[in-house]
Amino acid sequence: MFNKVLIANRGEIAVRILRACRALGVGAVVAYSEADRESLAPQLADEAICIGPADARHSYLSAPAVISAAIVTGCDAIHPGYGFLSEDATFADVVRAHDLEFIGPSAEVLERFASKEATRRLLAAHGLQTIPGSTMLRDEAHALEEAERIGYPLLIKPSGGGGGKGMRLVRNARELESTFKVSRSEAKAAFGDDSLYLEKFLEENRHIEIQVAVDRFGNAVHMFERDCSVQRRHQKIIEETPSPALSEDARRELAERALKAVSAAGYENLGTLEFLVDSKGDAYFIEINCRVQVEHAITEMVTGIDMVALQIRIAAGEPLGFTQADIASSGHAIEFRILAEDPAKDFRPQSGQVGAYLTPGGPGVRMDSHLYPGYEIPSYYDSLLGKLCVWAPNRAEAIARGDAALRELLVDGVTTNIELHRAILANQVFIDGKVTTSLLDRVGSAPFVAAGNR
Amino acid sequence: MAARTQIGNQSSESEEALQAQRDHDAIAGLADDLLPALIAKLAASGLGEIEVRQGGWKARLRMPAPSDESRRNAAKAAKAADSHGHAAPGRGSAVHARPEDRHAVDVEDVSDEPALVAAKSPAVGIYNPRKDLAVGMRVRSGDRIGQVNVLGVNQDVVSPVDGVIGSSLAEAGEAVEYGQELVRIELPEPEPPTSEASVHGAPVGAAGQS
Repeated sequence: MFNKVLIANRGEIAVRILRACRALGVGAVVAYSEADRESLAPQLADEAICIGPADARHSYLSAPAVISAAIVTGCDAIHPGYGFLSEDATFADVVRAHDLEFIGPSAEVLERFASKEATRRLLAAHGLQTIPGSTMLRDEAHALEEAERIGYPLLIKPSGGGGGKGMRLVRNARELESTFKVSRSEAKAAFGDDSLYLEKFLEENRHIEIQVAVDRFGNAVHMFERDCSVQRRHQKIIEETPSPALSEDARRELAERALKAVSAAGYENLGTLEFLVDSKGDAYFIEINCRVQVEHAITEMVTGIDMVALQIRIAAGEPLGFTQADIASSGHAIEFRILAEDPAKDFRPQSGQVGAYLTPGGPGVRMDSHLYPGYEIPSYYDSLLGKLCVWAPNRAEAIARGDAALRELLVDGVTTNIELHRAILANQVFIDGKVTTSLLDRVGSAPFVAAGNR
Repeated sequence: MAARTQIGNQSSESEEALQAQRDHDAIAGLADDLLPALIAKLAASGLGEIEVRQGGWKARLRMPAPSDESRRNAAKAAKAADSHGHAAPGRGSAVHARPEDRHAVDVEDVSDEPALVAAKSPAVGIYNPRKDLAVGMRVRSGDRIGQVNVLGVNQDVVSPVDGVIGSSLAEAGEAVEYGQELVRIELPEPEPPTSEASVHGAPVGAAGQS
């Protein structure tokens, strides 16, 4: 096991990793930017080190700053969290070159799964069905040609993107022509890579992902699925497990198929395979996330496995220590992403100082957050304030507990989406388990907000 | 988030009332026209610091992390702004320092305490001072005081001001973090102020958008 881990991330996930380190009896150093000096993780940590200015390019995204911080504080491993450098193969390689361990897949594995297009081909070869799509687009003429072959509507997707960023929907050739150049320059600006590809757009679909863990000895397990269909502009808002859209047999079958493919393809450490599931129940593999997910906590609640601790143990070269037969999914868990966004003002990100702050309690309630009263929310980073997760023996009770917990949660001083969550919980489509990824964008959030104010 | 503003007068010889009035006007002009534009630019750019020179004047904006120090500065600046309130007539509330907003104004020469600043670390790494560094040595703004070694690449530690080397706050070979104070720089004693000279560097306020 490691002696000391550098936590190279911020916000709630830095706090989460710190907790896992403490539970494992491993030392931890929190690396923070100047803008995060007063955030909870550096405050809670026994040791913290400022690695750069607020601008993430010179702090959380700076490989030299992060590695130098690990070396001068005597760490032997770096946990990258999610986002930032977490899936950067070059970073993982440089970390290893400095005799440090990268907590995640090895550089070779990250490299193999770095390109979404190559990953889709690789996993298709190992038996996963993928959405019909194009090869990398050479130019506009090539794009139009491929679009004709696959059929509209289509998504234009940047190869270097993630989390739905930079995607555009086109319904015909005229839209494709007018969007192609913009998408290319946006991709170049956002990801430093202007490669684009086309993918058939499934009108009504659910986003379902399978959690896997593979150790260095080839032991591989899945931890069932998460349903992340409640999205706004491709950003997940609410996640739950089990998926209300899959039967017990279907979820087991999908998880086993995903695990078999990904372990055959040589995956290692924690990973999440994302699928779009259409109205007929067909699951199309879309991408793999080679890191811990924001929504890992609901899997922890139904399986009882500390996934961040597991991730650290695997990176330290330990065997899983359990098999698929030891893993059961019990009850139902829901996560609400608490965001500093104003639903009434087009979800504009909010910053400001937190006033009163009260987190809910009771059976099956968990809050992962970096907030505390008086904390000033910096405007440099994403708007995630925390994750409220609830567990109950079944879905109906989980919804009831979720609503009770959301009513208790108090975050004064900054506008949040707490009321939107309550409105979604009260909506019949959600209660029936029939939410698809386009629902919020299609009907808009206004009806939900209005319903929530009744 | 707080924005710290420094407005310094480059032509500090004059102590005549007329010059003082011109200084007032220039500061007012900077505050009303230049500052809001600079603040917007700084916020949008993601840079840590911007410096603009205009004629004999320069304005420098820095974006520090909210810290105890910036709160103290905010309080100090607010006090200074109160006592010099008459020097800033007719200015929009947007450019007033308000401690509750933690907007800080760095003002040279208004404090009774000896003016002290520090050369800070540009990166996280191993600090090594310049071999000939000694207390009492005079340095100019931008002079190299030492280096911080980041994975074998040296980054310069420079003096932020003209001044005299004071005490060291970190040892040679010590691990330092970004922004850590490494060497105190003492500012030369200000010339004894005459009746109207206190307008130099008088607070004109600052605004920051969080």
